[in-house]
Amino acid sequence: MNKLLFRSATLIHPESKFHNQVVDLLILDGKIEDIAQTIDVNGDDLEIINAEGCFISTGFFDLNANFGEPGNETCEDLISGTQTAVAGGFTGIALQPATEPPVHSKAGVSYILNRTSSYLTDVYPLGCISYNRAGKDLAELYDMKLAGAIAFTDGTSPINDSGLMSRALLYVKGFGGLIFSYPEDTSIAGKGKMNEGIVSTYLGMKGIPNLAEEVSISRDLYLAEYNESKIHFSTISCAGSVELIRKAKEKGIQVTCDVAVHHLVLTDEALSGFDTQYKVRPPLRTQNDVDALIAGLKDGTIDAIVSQHTPHEIEFKDVEFEIASFGIIGLQTALPLALKAGLSPALIVEKMAINPRQILHLPIPGFEKGDEVNLVLFNPEEEWTFEASTNKSKSANSPFINHKLKGKVLAVCNKKQFYYQQ
Amino acid sequence: MSDYSKGLSTKHLLGIKDLNERDIQLIFETADTFKDVLNRPIKKVPSLRDVTIANVFFENSTRTRLSFELAQKRLSADTINFAASSSSVSKGETLIDTVNNILAMKVDMIVIRHPYPGAGIFLSRKVNAQIVNAGDGAHEHPTQALLDAFSIREKYGDVAGKKIAIIGDILHSRVALSNILCLQKLGAEVMVCGPTTLIPKYIGSLGVKVEFDLLKALNWCDVANMLRIQLERQDIKYFPSLREYTMMYGLNKQILDSLDKEILIMHPGPINRGVEITSDVADSKQSIILDQVENGVAIRMAVLYLLAGQKP
Repeated sequence: MNKLLFRSATLIHPESKFHNQVVDLLILDGKIEDIAQTIDVNGDDLEIINAEGCFISTGFFDLNANFGEPGNETCEDLISGTQTAVAGGFTGIALQPATEPPVHSKAGVSYILNRTSSYLTDVYPLGCISYNRAGKDLAELYDMKLAGAIAFTDGTSPINDSGLMSRALLYVKGFGGLIFSYPEDTSIAGKGKMNEGIVSTYLGMKGIPNLAEEVSISRDLYLAEYNESKIHFSTISCAGSVELIRKAKEKGIQVTCDVAVHHLVLTDEALSGFDTQYKVRPPLRTQNDVDALIAGLKDGTIDAIVSQHTPHEIEFKDVEFEIASFGIIGLQTALPLALKAGLSPALIVEKMAINPRQILHLPIPGFEKGDEVNLVLFNPEEEWTFEASTNKSKSANSPFINHKLKGKVLAVCNKKQFYYQQ
Repeated sequence: MSDYSKGLSTKHLLGIKDLNERDIQLIFETADTFKDVLNRPIKKVPSLRDVTIANVFFENSTRTRLSFELAQKRLSADTINFAASSSSVSKGETLIDTVNNILAMKVDMIVIRHPYPGAGIFLSRKVNAQIVNAGDGAHEHPTQALLDAFSIREKYGDVAGKKIAIIGDILHSRVALSNILCLQKLGAEVMVCGPTTLIPKYIGSLGVKVEFDLLKALNWCDVANMLRIQLERQDIKYFPSLREYTMMYGLNKQILDSLDKEILIMHPGPINRGVEITSDVADSKQSIILDQVENGVAIRMAVLYLLAGQKP
């Protein structure tokens, strides 16, 4: 990527004077050489990309991606995972620590940073809150922070011990750390494998009630308020959760939250045939919840949209529903699903590029002359088929495989590297 | 008479969900015929002489397995039995592999009982054989529901308009769900009754009445279907003790005699005598528990016979 010109793209970047305008963008040697309504430039070494009808923004950032390295490289390793992220338009990801062993020490954090330092997508490891994700004792949070852990979470193992969560929130305050809470009261969720509701009743399945999430959020909001700490909730799924967080924000509690993109377009109705490709955690809820989540995104209650990319080999999905693993891959389908949920490109950029970085106090790459290039170019109208030939992940556990999707990532740039797909 | 020339509308029997009212009536009329056969000196017909059926049971069962096996033998089918604990299977061979291995020995039909909801549906998509669901977790137990409705029809002439109360552990019961769906398709009214912790929160969405008072339920119904407390399926305690359960939901002769009408008493078995139902009630003339067992064979013969006719 020496000299590259994006012709006639609509820029979405609220900080730029060209925000919402059609611009030409000239890139030279990984930096923005020029940005203007039209740029006159020639040369043999110039590559021109016609971006009419397309949007350009800071590259997407995912707060919740799972890969399998170390331990489960056969479902996704750091190389395939980051390549999948690039194809989805992500120039940054916060990587979940639920590996084997989990990322609960400086060594685990350093391993990931060392392995990924040269990749196009910036990988920010999340460290475990508790040692071994066991929910008992705090892991060495400060040491991990120094090594580069961007925030702390036990993945989808909720911290059931209120005292431990309280200490974690308080402890990380001492060095500017941030706790991601996965809200689920497991004593209420029980052995449920899907949402408790009309569909679970019809299928004879025990359900995970909204209550399990809402009780947990209520508790953690009290803990955050008491300790005067920041807290971030991962993958909220219920209407009641949106309402709790809305009120907490009004009250001044330092809370942020995200939603998994599939929760914006799917409901538990999808499970009526026991299809394990729809088995996710938190479970798919009802249309009422979907509507509340979308409203929460629009009014600012929900700060970010995440992919919750969770790869599994076929052996873990092509089994009876009860024993199938939770989760679906989502990095490449994040943009099309967000569009399918009816969100505008501007709102998607806010929730998938700007806010995730703000939550983590990361700088927001800009579009001024001289800035290092970090961008995604996408066409919200272009259709493509998500299938074996286009899926970059090592796993294929997605209900959208072989579906035609609308909204395509065309180009991604970061760290002087350039990715372009026709 | 309806036009039954096309047989059942389904290739498998995975649940009552897949049957329409015509299917159910066809099964009943076929079962009437087989019930006559069962009362003859020679109880066997050659209908399924070239059909091989495997009974694959991943969960303990006595009466359902025996009932299916006897039904198969009365129809002259060849049968094999496979029993495995689901835990050993889930650790090793997958369900699909297990069943495909059995099918490789040229088996036409699989009768499966499994602890997980939807196991039969899953299997029907993955293997090339007809599947009969003999109980999948707390989802469905279609032949039980059919024989229950058949037994009510036998006593009352018709199921339509009858009031049936299903009493006990609704949350863990596949019998309850299949019964609700089957009875409603036949025009009956259904009520569920049991401890508040064992009634699913959204059960009302199925169009059933919900009652927590045993006496009120009994006074309302024509038929009381007393379910077994399935402690083995309860991962946590939903009520303090069996003693307290019996205090609230146990049916004894005194309660039965206090009702102002004679109701029928059913039970899918096995009975916990003295828990959900006392011996004098189980053995009373109002009880049709053993008729249910007898009808079970005829119903299963009808189902197997009709499904075998659906073979492509």
